[in-house]
Amino acid sequence: MDYKYIEQLLERYWACETSLQEEHILRTFFQQEEVPAHLMAYKAVFAVQQEQAEPVLGEDFDERMLQKVEGETVKALPFGGAGRGTAWVSGFRPLYQAAGLVALVLTIGIAAQRSFDEGNQSQQTQFAQSDSLTRPADEFVVLPEQQEAAVAAGQDSVNLTR
Amino acid sequence: MRKISFRDDVLPLKNGLYRLALRITLNAAEAEDTVQDTLIRVWEHREEWEQIESIEAYAYTICRNIALDIAGKAGHGNVQFSTINLSADSQISNFNSQLLPDESQEKQERLSLVRKLMDTLPEVQRSIMELRDIEGKTYQEIANILQLSESQVKVYLHRARTSIRQQAEKIEKYGL
Repeated sequence: MDYKYIEQLLERYWACETSLQEEHILRTFFQQEEVPAHLMAYKAVFAVQQEQAEPVLGEDFDERMLQKVEGETVKALPFGGAGRGTAWVSGFRPLYQAAGLVALVLTIGIAAQRSFDEGNQSQQTQFAQSDSLTRPADEFVVLPEQQEAAVAAGQDSVNLTR
Repeated sequence: MRKISFRDDVLPLKNGLYRLALRITLNAAEAEDTVQDTLIRVWEHREEWEQIESIEAYAYTICRNIALDIAGKAGHGNVQFSTINLSADSQISNFNSQLLPDESQEKQERLSLVRKLMDTLPEVQRSIMELRDIEGKTYQEIANILQLSESQVKVYLHRARTSIRQQAEKIEKYGL
């Protein structure tokens, strides 16, 4: 059998002139059990290359890695893979919504109430907002009283600005 | 440009990165640590992913730097690696000699000599051989990863292949 082609490829391989495909042909050639004697010297070179292509990471590597990386993210992931760090944040989410809703209703309520009492609407809305930010939440439980207080506070501020 | 995802674009690079780290550190545990640190560092720079030309080359560059760092810190040079490999090889050939005829033992010894030779090449030659012969990267990709010019990559690879060739021919001529 003629090995001219392989010999030529090999020469070009040592000279770094082969393409990736040609290098693949060489590797495949040297993989076979029987190699002509004069090419035997190079069989081990390609065999070691094959060997060095084998090592891979363990199967649990991905999971460990994703846990490390996704543990930081706030966004939930497709398959319940969200890290422990995010679980408690999302657990409080309904409470945030409820608190937001209460604040919104009260603000509108106060604003509406005041628009009956006074003419300047835009100013009142502004005061109502500042009230809802500074006042402790438990004061809002008894609505009528609280609204009177808010209105009083609003009027005080108005007086000051006049 | 398509959005880069850690799970689909970065994580699948792990085994190639692992083999590169292994060729540099010549130690499986250190190579695994290297890959972990590499992927975390790539993740930490996720804001910049869209500006990076090749996320793969980027990851390989980081991997090589971390591996060099770890190998340097551990303070072991090539000499020590070779002795580690040598003892592992002799265990393999001892095992084989119990079961297999002489010819196979000779084959094992031949392999172990080539292995040793490859492990004692300078790191840059080892890394280039790994990226070219094992991972099948183009010269341009390798140049990108190692931050060298393509012709420099070829010069290093040529040196590596020439030493391997000479050594292989010497073994053949004068025996093991």
